[in-house]
Amino acid sequence: MLKYLAKRIGRSLITLVIILTIVFCLLRLMPIEGYFPNFEKMTPQQIQVGLDEMGLNDPLPVQIFRFYKDLLHGDLGTSRIYRANVPVTEILADKVPVSIKLGVLSMIVSLLIGIPMGALMARYKNRFFDKLGTLFIVCIQAVPAAVYYLYIQLYGTQILDVGLLFDINNPKYWILPVLSMSLGNIAFYGMWLRRYMVDESNKDYVKLAKAKGLSEGKVMFKHIFRNAFVPLAQYIPTAFLNTVIGSIYIESLYSIPGMGGLLVTVVKKHDNTMVQGIVLLYACVGVLGLMLGDILMVVLDPRISLGKKEGDR
Amino acid sequence: MMKQFSYRHTKEADLMKSMEETLDKQVNMSDEEKFSFAEFNEKEVERSGYSNYSYWRSTLQAFLKNRVAVALLVMLVLLLLFTFIQPYLPNQYDPNLIINDENGMQYRNVPPGDQFILGTNSIGQDLWARIWSGTRTSLFIGLSVAIAEALIGITVGVLWGYVRKLDFILTEIYNIIDNIPNTIILILISYILKPSVKTLIFAMCLTGWIQMARFIRNQILIIRDRDYNVASRCLGTPTSKIMVKNLLPYLVSVIMLRMALTIPAAIGNEVFITYIGLGLPVDTPSLGNLINEGRALITSAALRYQLVYPTIILSFVTISFYIIGNAFSDAADPKNHV
Amino acid sequence: MRNKKFIAMMLCTVMAVSTALTGCGNSGKTTGDGESSSSAVYRELYSSESSTLNYLVTSTIVEQVAGANCIDTLVEYDSDGQLKEGLATEWSYDEATLTWTFKLREAKWVDNTGKEVADVTAQDFVDALKYQLTPEYESANVQNLFGVIANAEEYYNGQVYKGGADEDGTTWKEIDFSEVGVKAVDEHTLTYTLAKEVPYFISSLVYVVYMPAYGPQLEELGKEFGTAADKMYYNGAYYLAEFAPQERHVYKKNTLNYDAANVFIDEIQNIYNSEAATIGPEMVKRGEIDYAEISADLLDDWLSNQDTANLVSRARPSTSYSYFYCFNFDPQFDEEYEPDNWRKAVNNENFRKALSAGLDKTKEVAVLEPSTPEDYILTTVTPFDFAYNADGKDFTTIGAVADLGDTFDEVKAVEYKDAAMQELKAEGVTFPVKVLMPYNPSTVNWDKECQVVEQQMEALLGTDFIDIIIEAGPTDNFLTEVRRSGKYAFMKCGWGADYADPETWTDPFYQAAGESGYDAGYKYAFLANAITEGTATAAAVQEYFDKVDAAKAITVDTNARFEAFAEAEAVLIEHALVVPFSITVSPYIATKLDVFEAQYAPFGVSKLRFKGQHLQDTYVSMDQYEANKAK
Repeated sequence: MLKYLAKRIGRSLITLVIILTIVFCLLRLMPIEGYFPNFEKMTPQQIQVGLDEMGLNDPLPVQIFRFYKDLLHGDLGTSRIYRANVPVTEILADKVPVSIKLGVLSMIVSLLIGIPMGALMARYKNRFFDKLGTLFIVCIQAVPAAVYYLYIQLYGTQILDVGLLFDINNPKYWILPVLSMSLGNIAFYGMWLRRYMVDESNKDYVKLAKAKGLSEGKVMFKHIFRNAFVPLAQYIPTAFLNTVIGSIYIESLYSIPGMGGLLVTVVKKHDNTMVQGIVLLYACVGVLGLMLGDILMVVLDPRISLGKKEGDR
Repeated sequence: MMKQFSYRHTKEADLMKSMEETLDKQVNMSDEEKFSFAEFNEKEVERSGYSNYSYWRSTLQAFLKNRVAVALLVMLVLLLLFTFIQPYLPNQYDPNLIINDENGMQYRNVPPGDQFILGTNSIGQDLWARIWSGTRTSLFIGLSVAIAEALIGITVGVLWGYVRKLDFILTEIYNIIDNIPNTIILILISYILKPSVKTLIFAMCLTGWIQMARFIRNQILIIRDRDYNVASRCLGTPTSKIMVKNLLPYLVSVIMLRMALTIPAAIGNEVFITYIGLGLPVDTPSLGNLINEGRALITSAALRYQLVYPTIILSFVTISFYIIGNAFSDAADPKNHV
Repeated sequence: MRNKKFIAMMLCTVMAVSTALTGCGNSGKTTGDGESSSSAVYRELYSSESSTLNYLVTSTIVEQVAGANCIDTLVEYDSDGQLKEGLATEWSYDEATLTWTFKLREAKWVDNTGKEVADVTAQDFVDALKYQLTPEYESANVQNLFGVIANAEEYYNGQVYKGGADEDGTTWKEIDFSEVGVKAVDEHTLTYTLAKEVPYFISSLVYVVYMPAYGPQLEELGKEFGTAADKMYYNGAYYLAEFAPQERHVYKKNTLNYDAANVFIDEIQNIYNSEAATIGPEMVKRGEIDYAEISADLLDDWLSNQDTANLVSRARPSTSYSYFYCFNFDPQFDEEYEPDNWRKAVNNENFRKALSAGLDKTKEVAVLEPSTPEDYILTTVTPFDFAYNADGKDFTTIGAVADLGDTFDEVKAVEYKDAAMQELKAEGVTFPVKVLMPYNPSTVNWDKECQVVEQQMEALLGTDFIDIIIEAGPTDNFLTEVRRSGKYAFMKCGWGADYADPETWTDPFYQAAGESGYDAGYKYAFLANAITEGTATAAAVQEYFDKVDAAKAITVDTNARFEAFAEAEAVLIEHALVVPFSITVSPYIATKLDVFEAQYAPFGVSKLRFKGQHLQDTYVSMDQYEANKAK
């Protein structure tokens, strides 16, 4: 077990290094404008001085080596354009908490609504509630988030009698962003839990349990739900970590100072040090999420063993 | 966007599970088919011992039972046909034509009515023509991505599953690509290359194929060492023939499902990329472009039609593909063949 | 099994810790609610974030807002565009107008809480200039000092080349900063020494390059100066109380400012919203903000709707920015757009004239300004109401440019086309000529303009003659990737005045002849290529360059100088080397400010200042706007 963990972590680290190296090299291919906020009006001398100072005239391997050396010291470099001369870590430290707070709230809401919804839909399969739920799921999937978020904001603020923009200190202002963010995930959890439960309820052991005379409700929750929840649980750590990334739509609409549009912004602004920092964060989230998901699944379901799963995720 | 990707992935994991179960049940039938290729002359005798169950016919029958899916399929096909016919109908405007009135001024923001079925936009272009042209572009992107992913994915996947030497390398590549969030790749590629239909398709295919390949590879690992394949190998059947004849047929329904789900995902991605400002130029109408232009006008009730109509089409296409894809995967499950 | 329990615990701990972490972190920030209702708070959305507050290095307007409102300049403009005293109470210059002496008033530096930290002295101006002339700080504005302040270029390049030679072979020796033409004679006396006679020097003092900064702080912070609200000091009408990037900027009135009596808005809140264009108008309807731009798309609906019709007015017309269509004489675009074919075509005067006469400017401007597009059309590159000669005559009514009419002429366009086709066919040019017209997708409505132009010109001149190809360029670095690299054929370009003299309008086109060929300049149309390649256009371009040289040489007699520049500009337009287009269309806005109360000057940072404006209770209507304008 521990051996497996060590191996798994080692592999994840290697993956991270490769991803970072690829992105690092890709970024060096982009035009050098990216390093200078005022490139348009700079003289060639200024540009050369700047490039030398940043060590960008060194050969690529030297740069990569330096990048990792700094990284090991926890130094992600300083932003050049997004916020000139401010350390990347400082910028991220400001933004990440906001996104996590919002994301975790939204995750709790989606689990609290989505899981019961899915369970009820499975319990009353093909009945009215199931159909209603399906309609909701289909609509949420089909209408682009960019559109329904905007409608929710315009009408929701009128109904709740709040301003259009977010106010972090007023709980009432949290309702709409959290709700909008949750809708997609509610549909997600509801849909999959229903499906897993329906699949599970066709299995022999369930039939046996029913034949034994166990009540419908007891079978549903003691047997079906517990088994059906395992595959969903695998997704939860990733979803949790993904809250770091934020929601570009929600944060833009409500002026929430989170991570949402940050990657897009810095890519467009050619702020390479920022891009590297964010890619590192994203990749960590992805790698760690998968790992935790696997582990959580094992914890929840003793029948699954990690050693066997390795290499065939 | 993350949402759509995860839907797709979970769907596949789920499907994989059911495929494995399915395969166990299908073995008998499959053996029968395969052995018939080995030129046994007592075919008549063999056949009499089985019912005339056909997997594909049953799948079709099961699918046809799902009325909603069939209705949507018919409508989707009609819609697809109409996007191609529309430009050739009489009295159609060019989607990029700016229409001027008698005084030479543009028909700006004309609401839907007699002259313009769905109204005009703020520089006097016909929304009806733009929506159909946009649907064409978006469907084209969706289909291209689906087909490209399928082609590359299947080829690599079959090799990956069958050629053991490739396994290590491809698994590592998979681990890397799978761990880079798709958002980053989409943004970087759309940014580095100039915005165009080709770029978008390229960016979306760049990582999508590996999922498909992984999928195929896992299926092949499951089927590869089944008895009939071992038998085929022993009889000296060339690898290529085993791949094409013995393995691929099992994967068709999986592949179809994946393609059906890829199309709406690709269209959704196009909307996202346009939203962040890296989308297609305006003279190439697409659903993403139209929705994005429409969003800016949402605050004026009188102009909202410019947002609503493209959204309806997009939603319809998305719903249709999801429901048809799901119905098809259900139908492909032999448990439902009674 | 035990292991599994351990891992489960670990997982729980990780989650608990991270949830706890998210719990704190935001407790420190307050939004500035609960202000007493009597103070005037102005709220506005913005969608483009400043990357720095350091006014000494930035050249973008967005980033100069902080400097404009928080730092006082030596002189200021009033709302009529008249120069008046600022930090300097009086100034004088020597006979040769090379040495300028300014007497400074008493003023204070305050920090980001409004607390006094130091006195403003003449040395602060010297230190600020030295900071900009230090290559390490990458100031984008040093070019504005070169050739103006004595020895500025020498000092700067000396540090870069350290006695070595640049690409052109000029050697730059290191010199001492004391040789640069700026001196603090005493605490309240400042002198600038100029490198040459600069007629527009006093007007350029309102630009960020001549702003002061507290010396000891510059010394201490170096590159970090201006990266946060507490990393700079303020001496202007406002101080920056909060600078939370992509969140909000809060400016508060600086009560210690000498002119505080003329500052009527107590607090300015700029709130970040990347969807400001969509959300802003809605917020105006609900009265949640005091300013928003109303795009041309929404305008018809707003004007026709009773509730909103009275909320819309306009921004003050700006005559410091001019748009024109450039022909590219050095096509570097992809083979598929046939650059060689274009090169031949563009050097034919009739071809250029056909395009010039065939462009219906009114129609294109109508995309941005549907009601009165003709008010914005230009017949010259230099905008009207920009510069006046000694007799008060507007530059565009002087000499050779006075007679230029609208270039658009359907009949003539077709005549030129026929002539051009005949001549060019003989040269082996293939028709239709592909005309690559890129646009920047992030510039609102430029895409639509291009579509209008394509359709209008192709309809008039015929698709047998030209094939306009619209292409979306990259959203960022558009100018570098497209215009400067010559990847266009015929494109709308713009230029903003750097100072109050017609010379500023020759900068985009004029290329100085150096030893190693023509200076690439700002890389607009690459006119000099016509000369180096010896094409049919060479004579016209040479004539233009010569006339600009002649005009620049006249420094004392303003009237003669203006006339000479007018003559040069006429050459440019008559030979259709450039097609004049329009001034900036002043956007439709919803605002609670009277735009005519604000400081006004066609250049510098005056326009960005809030000083002197009153926050009204209601949004300005069109009628009020007209009334304010008449005042």
